[in-house]
Amino acid sequence: MDVFEAAEKIMENALVSALSVASPKGQVSTHPMLPLYSRERKKLYFTSSILFSRKVEHIKTNPKVGVLFSGRQFINTPSYAAVHVKGDAKIYEENLNNGWMWLLDLWTRKEPYIGAYIKQRLALPLFWERIIIEVTPREILLWDDGDVSKQPRRWVR
Amino acid sequence: MSVEVEQFSDTSVSFIDEDGYPVSFPAKVRPIGEGYMIEWPQYLPVPRQITLLFNHITPIPTGGYTDRRYVMVRGSVEKSGDTVLFRPEKSYGWDEKKKPFFQYCEEKTSQAKNYLAKLSKNIGRPVKPRLPTAQLLFRATRFPFLTATVAPVLIGAGSAAYLGYFDPLLLLLTLVGASLIHLGLNMTNDYFDHKLGADESNITPTPFSGGSRIIQYGLLTSGQVASLAALFYVAGVAIGLYLALLRGLIPILTVMGVGVLISVAYTAPPLKLAYRGVGEVAVGIGFGPIIVLGSHYVQAQLFSIQALLASVPIGILICLILYVNEIPDAPYDAQAGKRTLVTRLNAGQVISLYKLLLATAYAMIALPVLVGYAPPTALIALATIPTAVNTVKSVKQTYGSPYLMIPALAANIRVATFTGLLHALGFFLWPVIMLLA
Repeated sequence: MDVFEAAEKIMENALVSALSVASPKGQVSTHPMLPLYSRERKKLYFTSSILFSRKVEHIKTNPKVGVLFSGRQFINTPSYAAVHVKGDAKIYEENLNNGWMWLLDLWTRKEPYIGAYIKQRLALPLFWERIIIEVTPREILLWDDGDVSKQPRRWVR
Repeated sequence: MSVEVEQFSDTSVSFIDEDGYPVSFPAKVRPIGEGYMIEWPQYLPVPRQITLLFNHITPIPTGGYTDRRYVMVRGSVEKSGDTVLFRPEKSYGWDEKKKPFFQYCEEKTSQAKNYLAKLSKNIGRPVKPRLPTAQLLFRATRFPFLTATVAPVLIGAGSAAYLGYFDPLLLLLTLVGASLIHLGLNMTNDYFDHKLGADESNITPTPFSGGSRIIQYGLLTSGQVASLAALFYVAGVAIGLYLALLRGLIPILTVMGVGVLISVAYTAPPLKLAYRGVGEVAVGIGFGPIIVLGSHYVQAQLFSIQALLASVPIGILICLILYVNEIPDAPYDAQAGKRTLVTRLNAGQVISLYKLLLATAYAMIALPVLVGYAPPTALIALATIPTAVNTVKSVKQTYGSPYLMIPALAANIRVATFTGLLHALGFFLWPVIMLLA
């Protein structure tokens, strides 16, 4: 299986990923995020509540991001690999209220109960005002079995 | 700054590579002294600054996950042979077992508001959070609290039915009118608690305390809240006026006038009753004798000792809804100068007074039956005593932990509501039994 194909499987089946962004001071901020991978678009999506929007402010200043998929127990695939995606992020914030709803199918596959929470959005109105972060992969590093002692296999766009 | 590494199921290292992109890899990390030893892959350069993410979730077999916690640590690194020594400088994280998600979100409200302010400025038009209208009104008016009005209105009508007076249409009008005034009260309370700073300083609101947060979240402006409050008052008073013209001008206008005055003066200057430690008494009078006697008069065109006695327990119970809901708000109320009863007592005194008032409420349900001013069927309201006892225990156990208190707050509201409704039912049942007998 080539690197991109193997990475797609991991991205589709990971429950959590670590999104790293660069702060204006050049430091890395890393946040656990639910990854939503669209096979059709070949892009990775995240939705971030405006309550936790600092990372989005950083991306607006510097769109270079990294996303790590690791942790065997977080990835529901027969074979495991740790995957790092270097990518360019784009922010969509035109419709915070429901512009992210098209991602709900992907989201529900990972968190089947999410629809029930959305129905109760009046309980946490600000949490459901959400920004979309779209990441276009530029380079992928893949460590088979999560073994980082060996050089990763690479895919470059 | 130490992280209990074994509490996290995954650890990753991130740094900026020569292309300016963050690069991460899963890392084996072990604590050593003030820092951590990291097994660093030989083929990767060692930067001066890195970020560690300690992350954990517990996947749920049916999908999704729970038990979220993470710590992000930034610091400097130093190479030593095959390993790298990491010295932490700054850390940030969240553990949902230690900080409930609601509280975590509440603490980030200012981040959301700053984000919206910046976005509005950048695109040249205001961007505000939104809710569907029905949900917005439900939240803004704190609609579920209307049960606090329904119970006393029914008790007033029930005590009239016990004396042989009952008109369902008048009851419906009374219910709607009193409810509209109650909605006006809730929104007035939000408006003035915002103006006086009590709701702004509260960072641990619950579904039952800390106000509706509608202004704090930017869902409505304070002006819109004031306008809606006025609208509810006007509609409620209009129904009250109609009932007064129909059933007795002076008595009904007097009762309604006092009720509206108490509801506005509860938080509005200059009286600000809630800020002076008499809000609980005002609420007890408003939701007890005022509503019960008003509802009773609309039905019977007279005030009676039966109605007055029946108004005491429900007044106490509704007062206790407010009283217990004040517990999580107490530190913020004190900060904003809102000297509620709870802010004036210590925890032990608060619980003792709670027990005393609950016992009084139940005694005042039984006493009128013993002296012949209430039917024996009114005693069905005592059925809630076991729940009330458990609720007191639960309030005591969770005292001081706003989010752990949520089930206790809900239970306290259920006790007041069901006791009130059962009390009303007891009054309505008696004439039916007599009729059947």
